[in-house]
Amino acid sequence: MQIKIAIGTIAFMMTMMVFGYSALREQARMERFANAELGRSIEAGAHIFASNCATCHGIDGTAQECYDTAGNQIACQGLPLNYNGLLCGEPSARLTEMGWKGSKAAYVESVVAVGRGAIMPTWSEQYGGPLRPDQVRNVTNFVLNWESEALCSQPLVTYEWPEAAEDFLASADVTPPGDPVRGEELYNVTYGCVACHGALDGSTAAAIGPALADIQDVGGTRVEGEDALQYVYHSILYPSDFISPECPTGPCAGPPSTMPANFGSRMGENPQDMADILAALLQP
Amino acid sequence: MATFVEQVREMGIKQAVITKADEVVERVTAGMTINDIRSALRGDEPRRPNPRLRPHADGFWLHIRPSFYHTGVTHIYPTFRLGWMSTFMLVWETITGLILMVFYTPSPLVAYGNMWNILGNVPLGQLFRNMHRLGAEVMVLVVALHMLRTFVTGSYKKPRQFTWVTGMLLLLFTIFLSFSGYLLPWDQLAYWALTVFISGGAAAPAPDFVNNTILLILQGGPALGANGLLRWYLLHVLLLPLLAGIFFFVHYYKVVLYGISLPPGREEIGEDTAKRVPKDERSYFIPDILTNELMWSALLTLFLVAGALWLWDAPLESHADPVVTPLHVVAPWYLSWSQGWLKLADKTLVVAFIPLLLVAFIVMPYIEVGKSRRYADRRVGLTVAMLFIAFMLVSNWMGSPEFRVASSPDREVSIHMLPEEGPGGLKGIPFEHMTPGNYTPGQEIEGNPFLTRGLEEYEHAMHQQSCTLVGNEMWDECRVETLDSGAKRYSNSFTSDAMPDPFATLEIVEIQPNLKEMVLRYEVVNPENPNELLIDTSWTSFRHADSNYEEECQFLNKPCPID
Repeated sequence: MQIKIAIGTIAFMMTMMVFGYSALREQARMERFANAELGRSIEAGAHIFASNCATCHGIDGTAQECYDTAGNQIACQGLPLNYNGLLCGEPSARLTEMGWKGSKAAYVESVVAVGRGAIMPTWSEQYGGPLRPDQVRNVTNFVLNWESEALCSQPLVTYEWPEAAEDFLASADVTPPGDPVRGEELYNVTYGCVACHGALDGSTAAAIGPALADIQDVGGTRVEGEDALQYVYHSILYPSDFISPECPTGPCAGPPSTMPANFGSRMGENPQDMADILAALLQP
Repeated sequence: MATFVEQVREMGIKQAVITKADEVVERVTAGMTINDIRSALRGDEPRRPNPRLRPHADGFWLHIRPSFYHTGVTHIYPTFRLGWMSTFMLVWETITGLILMVFYTPSPLVAYGNMWNILGNVPLGQLFRNMHRLGAEVMVLVVALHMLRTFVTGSYKKPRQFTWVTGMLLLLFTIFLSFSGYLLPWDQLAYWALTVFISGGAAAPAPDFVNNTILLILQGGPALGANGLLRWYLLHVLLLPLLAGIFFFVHYYKVVLYGISLPPGREEIGEDTAKRVPKDERSYFIPDILTNELMWSALLTLFLVAGALWLWDAPLESHADPVVTPLHVVAPWYLSWSQGWLKLADKTLVVAFIPLLLVAFIVMPYIEVGKSRRYADRRVGLTVAMLFIAFMLVSNWMGSPEFRVASSPDREVSIHMLPEEGPGGLKGIPFEHMTPGNYTPGQEIEGNPFLTRGLEEYEHAMHQQSCTLVGNEMWDECRVETLDSGAKRYSNSFTSDAMPDPFATLEIVEIQPNLKEMVLRYEVVNPENPNELLIDTSWTSFRHADSNYEEECQFLNKPCPID
């Protein structure tokens, strides 16, 4: 019996030592696990993004390169997400622009969950979409993970747009006149304008924004003192300054305009895009 | 009785305190003074009247325990302490489970997040989760072994038939307890194991409306969801523990009533002398049995704590997803035999057979009424039992992933290298050693033993699924077969569906800060038609710097390239 008491006592003491040992290492272990949930959530979000979001927001979230299921490049219809205007600063430029009072994460999550306009679908099953709440969180975490020092150290506006379209076209950054063929491709594919404004030849009707097939004529009548060129140029850069009276679904909403205000910064990387699009829009 | 102050005045403070302490101990133990305890621990003969019997007579905790046992049942054989261990495991699971309950909410919205909170935010949380999960598996094992030894020693025979029946029910409750806990983490493993189990339950040979109602009750809706989780949670923490508790006491009452059966050779055939204990064959509960039980409790605790810390980690897969079925759904090992049976026979047949088997086990002691408990007289029974055990082991093996249906060769390689769940293969490479670039199987990367080891594993996995027609030394020679449809089938010594002269690559890209994408690509040119690709597939997996797969790799028996 004495030997059993001894064995039991030793086993008990060893158990306590094991507990103590694991308790001492517990802080370090918890730290290794602390971000594991977020890490795996981002991994899961990457899968969801690749199969659901990349067709409109681009494979790297910059809305530059989009492919359909067959692998053909198509117009990116979504806004850039891997974009400092959305991700940098709290609140970021986009949040201020939208008048969002909550956090950046809540903003992204709510847009993913609810959707916006006619193009961005509703994703959360809470509102009739296909994704569970945890999947919405995963994809939100993935989008927010694009925030990096490299991204945020870039200036928000990369190009100083001259006030007058004439000055812009005369500047050294563009080769005038713009190429309307390339412009139409940019309109249809790269910037995806076609999704809201319809095709320039009228083959696809406008869905949200005003139809632009005859903008070279009506453009000059909208704002006093601005001809069609200046009006279109101004409206691409600052969509909320003038709200067009007629949209396909009735009077256009705004200000602020439904149209993204970031084309200035996107085209700033290659100002020639602006010149080409202007040429395509204004060709008789 | 003098008050404490009076005692102090009478005999001084020291003596008064000793007297008071002695009095308290005597009350707490329901009859044993400090000296009685010391003499019991020394192994002295008890004084008369024996104070060591009073805790049984007057105390609550020991009133159900016999005050002495037959010495013949106090050795390792014939009980192997399995009954005591089963009881211990029930208590163990209750305690660790209560602690885990504090950090758990039975809702699909938060249950999975709770698991990560337990892992990353609760001090000793992972240890307790491991102890609970390991305990659940050990408990199933211990209870099953307890039943096995009861059968082998013939202890189910008259008058202990009903003890056997309650024991069968307790085994059933134990399995259900373990299995109902399976769902609670709300991960893929849990969700699909339960879904398969429930759909099995609904395949019973009964009218459709009966099966549909069973399904509805078990799932709480058209699919396993919030209601289902709540139901299984309540089963796990309330109904089943309650039933197990009640039947435990019925079971133990019968054990005390009839006594633990002696080894078969110790008594005459047809006699039961367990309760007729001669004076010189008595082992008193205090101190012999009690110290014995405490020793086994301490050893078992040590094993469970150390095992939970060093030997094994409770699995946690990704969030439950009703739309994505994992490639291989695996039942827990103690139900793996049922998965094996499903490969042998029709689902309805299997589902109908299991309750029949259970009923057969329950009524067995009332039908098998041979008088002798001796092994020599029970050759048929013991042979049948051994064959049954062998059959269960084979069934279990057939239900294991080893016996699964193989998918396409490139997919087999992919799930080996980058499994859908958990660490394994290339995911176990430390994040900083996943250098972006393009790699081929077996490539050696200078200064990067982790990636080299991973690519070695990649080559090994490819080797099993590939063959060559053109004498490539990397792969085995192809065996070519022409199918009835005219198509060719290529095989090697490992598989009947191999890739002829495949071209495989691994691409690693850093797609976000701290997030890398790993893509396995396979291209196989059709040997019959060089312009056509037989296989042109890819498999993508993501790896975040903080995902901590390395730690999981150390535990699970998976080929993680960590050396």
